[in-house]
Amino acid sequence: MEIAQIAVLVVISLVNALLPSQWRKWVLFVISLIIIYWLQPSLSIRWLDYTLPSIIIGISVITWWVVASREKKISPITALSREDSTSLVIILAIILLLTIPRYFDFPIALTSRPPEIWQVITIIIALIIILPLGSYLISFRWTAILLLLIILAFLIIIKSEVLSIHLSVFLRQQTGQDTGIASVIDIQWLGFSYVAFRLIHTIRDWQTGILPDLSLREFITYVIFFPAFTAGPIDRVERFLNDFRAIEKYNPFEANRFTEAAARICIGLFKKFFIADSLAIISLSHTSIDQALSAPALWLMLYAYALRLFFDFSGYTDIAIGIGILWGIQLPENFNRPYLKNTITTFWQSWHMTLSSWVRTYVYSPLSRQLLRSRYKNHVNIILLISTLATMLTIGIWHGITLPFIVWGLWHGIGLFIHKVWSDHTRAWLRRLRQHPGRDAAWRWTGVILTFHFVVLGWVWFVSSDLSSAFRLFLALFGVAP
Amino acid sequence: MDEQTVRENLRTFIVKDLIRDPDYDLADDEGVVTGGLIDSFSLAQIGVFVEQAFGVYIPDPDLTVAKMDTLNQMVARILRDIQ
Repeated sequence: MEIAQIAVLVVISLVNALLPSQWRKWVLFVISLIIIYWLQPSLSIRWLDYTLPSIIIGISVITWWVVASREKKISPITALSREDSTSLVIILAIILLLTIPRYFDFPIALTSRPPEIWQVITIIIALIIILPLGSYLISFRWTAILLLLIILAFLIIIKSEVLSIHLSVFLRQQTGQDTGIASVIDIQWLGFSYVAFRLIHTIRDWQTGILPDLSLREFITYVIFFPAFTAGPIDRVERFLNDFRAIEKYNPFEANRFTEAAARICIGLFKKFFIADSLAIISLSHTSIDQALSAPALWLMLYAYALRLFFDFSGYTDIAIGIGILWGIQLPENFNRPYLKNTITTFWQSWHMTLSSWVRTYVYSPLSRQLLRSRYKNHVNIILLISTLATMLTIGIWHGITLPFIVWGLWHGIGLFIHKVWSDHTRAWLRRLRQHPGRDAAWRWTGVILTFHFVVLGWVWFVSSDLSSAFRLFLALFGVAP
Repeated sequence: MDEQTVRENLRTFIVKDLIRDPDYDLADDEGVVTGGLIDSFSLAQIGVFVEQAFGVYIPDPDLTVAKMDTLNQMVARILRDIQ
């Protein structure tokens, strides 16, 4: 997000705080729906920057319809409560109203390329006919599995450069545009990586019977809550609901709350737009890799890159949390001094915490348990290795399906595995070491330095566009000319 | 199955199979993960042990450090589903 966009979001949040408290849930719902169109970058493929946010809303509504169902084979229209009906009407009205800029010039462009209104109406009518019919043919259980597959397919496409270009070519053919200039930038789907994980979390929790009851308004606001829409944090729905349901009693101008929000936003802006942007000048990048003259210069650039990543992302999280506080939603923290942790395990418990916690809950834990129940249950270390690598591979490809991201994930997976085996063998010794504060502190700081450098060297994979440039960079860092 | 049986079975499993120090005196309110005695992989092992020993399935989102850090928390969670 740009600083101007953040300023607009802060102003909207402050104006909301002045409104009567009973309006706030509806205002947050409506604002979030509109803002996801506004934040979506303009795309060169016709209708796409309108269609992508609309798909997010469409999938979210269908997911809610599945996970909120208590009885099978119900008609979704007659089963709707008054609040749900109103929410649905508002969603449809916003989707239709956002096609109007096609016909008139608006001072604020929320979407740059909406389709014709009749095209949108046709699709909505088709969905209204197909969905109830579908509910008679397919059980909600299977619809949930189908939804999971669709969400994963979308994720894989946007994370894969090759598939994104193929999709771009296909869409350009459909809209009669030049396929020769198809590129990965054509499919820049803002927020979907985070939306996908929220939707998967709700579907999986519904499947295991622990998802709380929630209205359409609550569900949609959770999935697309605008401060966390672009880059998280990935909240849990039951935690979000606690705050959302108490919004009417919340006073954003209560001294400590307002000060906290203002401080988080200011700190976030400073971290992101001053520290991170300043570090960007000297930090490593795709283009600057070959410009370093010596190994020490490269190390400096790599340290700057590591710090820049932290300040940029944690700064963004601070801003999101600060704006969330203005609405009465306390988003979860994403960072807890990660570069000061003394083991790779505690690093991952404090770096992008909501993502690592999500992957631990929905990949690591179920996979480990499944393997521990299998006939290979006695091979604990092999189970641990498989689960850890699968988990870190998921985090790697979540950033992009490329070889460097895959290797980066495996790098951390292997690091975590080695640390776990090591700590299993040294746990008793470490407990005894705690009785000697001096030696314990020395050991801890040695751990901090080693962990920091393991993570920093891991960023070499992260920053490199391909494996050969990563290898060259490793050699250059250790003074070996490529 | 009564609370005491659940508690002692679980304590024995954690001390013997996870901490691997049968003489360790594990307190009821001691943080086993936050105290560095076990890790998140051990929580998965506890999840499977609870399924097999007590017939209680703890969903993955409940198998976290925040919810399963002490023996008291674990026993309360298991008894909720046994009863």
